[in-house]
Amino acid sequence: MLMTTSAKNQKRIAIYGKGGIGKSSTASNVAAACADEGYKVMIIGCDPKSDSSITLLGGKRIPTILDLLRQNIDVREKDIVFEGYGGVKCVEVGGPEPGIGCAGRGIIVAIQKLQKACPSMSDMDLIIYDVPGDIVCGGFVAPIRKGLVTEAYILTSGEYMPLYAANNICKGLAKIDTPLSGIICNSRSVTREEEIVRRFSEEIGSRLVAFIPKEQIVQDCERDGFSVLEKAPRSDIAHVYRNLAKAIMFNDQSILPGSLDDERLRELTR
Amino acid sequence: MMGKELSIIHPRPSSIVAALYTLRDLNVDVAILHGPPGCSFKHARLLEEDGIRVVTTALDENGFVFGGRQELSSLLEKVNEMFKPRLIGVVGTCASMIIGEELREPVEDANLDVPVIEVEVHAGYPDNTKGVLITLESACEVGVIDREELERQKVLLHEATQVEKRHGAASRQYLEPSRGDVKYKVAERVIRLLQEGRKCITIMNAKKETGYMFADITAAVNEVALALGKEGNVVNMANVDDSLGLPRVRHHAKCIAADLKERGITVHEIIGGMDEYPVTGERVNELIKQKYKDYDFALITGVPHAIPMEALEGMEVISVTNGPRQVLPLKEMGHQHVIVEIDLHPKTLGVNHIVESEFGATLREVAKDMLGK
Ligand code: SF4
Repeated sequence: MLMTTSAKNQKRIAIYGKGGIGKSSTASNVAAACADEGYKVMIIGCDPKSDSSITLLGGKRIPTILDLLRQNIDVREKDIVFEGYGGVKCVEVGGPEPGIGCAGRGIIVAIQKLQKACPSMSDMDLIIYDVPGDIVCGGFVAPIRKGLVTEAYILTSGEYMPLYAANNICKGLAKIDTPLSGIICNSRSVTREEEIVRRFSEEIGSRLVAFIPKEQIVQDCERDGFSVLEKAPRSDIAHVYRNLAKAIMFNDQSILPGSLDDERLRELTR
Repeated sequence: MMGKELSIIHPRPSSIVAALYTLRDLNVDVAILHGPPGCSFKHARLLEEDGIRVVTTALDENGFVFGGRQELSSLLEKVNEMFKPRLIGVVGTCASMIIGEELREPVEDANLDVPVIEVEVHAGYPDNTKGVLITLESACEVGVIDREELERQKVLLHEATQVEKRHGAASRQYLEPSRGDVKYKVAERVIRLLQEGRKCITIMNAKKETGYMFADITAAVNEVALALGKEGNVVNMANVDDSLGLPRVRHHAKCIAADLKERGITVHEIIGGMDEYPVTGERVNELIKQKYKDYDFALITGVPHAIPMEALEGMEVISVTNGPRQVLPLKEMGHQHVIVEIDLHPKTLGVNHIVESEFGATLREVAKDMLGK
């Protein structure tokens, strides 16, 4: 297998979680926070919505790898890698039109292209894969299976559905022998939310690495096309992201996660 | 897993291939494989020799990711222009079916005034007859066959699957291919039996176009019997009813029956149509019970494992198959001699006259030596 990402201390993480739970904003804020600390960071958005990088690029959309492949363009690094806030290198995988083709296969093809076309991947200190939704098929696990990801994080809130998805992802990770490095709670202001997610994390054998409170400012910055780190660097929430970034960069604990049965999951969220 | 059916691990034609052959029997002029360029390559090429055009949308990696609706509709237009077909078939493949391709929409996009049989099939069905079934159902929807024929075919397909599972290539997880017994030795045996005045039944129970070669064996046995003056000791059965089956299949029956007649060979008992090979066994059984109980040996060609052993009790059985994986099951059924006509299929595609078989030729040659003629 071609491995361009061979640097020794490089962190290659994937963030999984239910669709719409806030993976992209978390990923881009973490990327920005790490860039602020002087790390070389790359963010690879695997969601067809291509919204992982938009807040690092001042609201600008970039061509996706699959857009270019669709046009039969032989992609090179400069066609797909765009520098954003703090020098963060942004890549978007893109996807087929809804209802047509195979998004999972698209991820596989795109990351293979990326590996080939993008030598600068090996210079990075941190590469973040922002993977959509639940682990739904082999294609979505490709970044892990192809050896591109070494650590996985799960983002969830304290509601039943995101936890259900998180639990499923744990099953998937265990199946493909990939350790989980921690759970991140992106709050939806549910009662006892932090406690619920903490309990969940512990019961599957992992830990809660961050609790991100729900703050309007995140959405406001996003709407303007910025991360909070760029637009509101002195806000409390920016501080939370900085702590999360630190936790990720210094994290050296990971475990093969267990999972809960549905009854226990319901009990937790009741 | 509970109740899991026997999984067959030796290679067999897939449902995609079965669909292609069925389209051929429905007399399509062009079959389009919607999928990767190499899919079903060998059969596609054979079918081209049989007079139909087989083309592919040649989906590549991009096609898997983005779908191939556009590719299929423009290929439909191109094919229509190039070949002026009267009937077209479109066959799915694993690649296009896994990504959820729809065949109806591109057919509608192309908007041809030629009927198109859409076959949404992949290779992942354990019984490849599934490919036939899906094709026939679609053909019925388009009005190419009527419901009655569809129902008849369904029964035959079910029986064909059962025959294969009982004593055929699907009877065992793995069957080693074998060339069977040596042909000239079996030829010698047949000639000796005829010389001794033993009474012979030839049973041609052939699957569709394979009959073009199996009929040659019936012809050869009759020729040898005639040379020995024992023609009265041979009775011929064959599934050459030309009133049954899909258009091309009926045509085969007509051609084979006409050729046999021209060679002066009487088919004493017509045991069914050329697609009825899985259900002829009972008819053969009844006929033997009623009229041919005292016959000494039977020479069965085509799908010999569809004839029940009950029918052949007390007879020496010689069988000729074109399936190298069929030798062991036939031996186990109790057939004393089993031989294989290698390469039968490529030689019988695209023909409309009887084709010389290796065993027929051997019989004729050995007879010349033995009889000094
Ligand atoms: S896997 Fe399926 S689609 Fe691919 S070549 Fe084989 S039969 Fe065709």
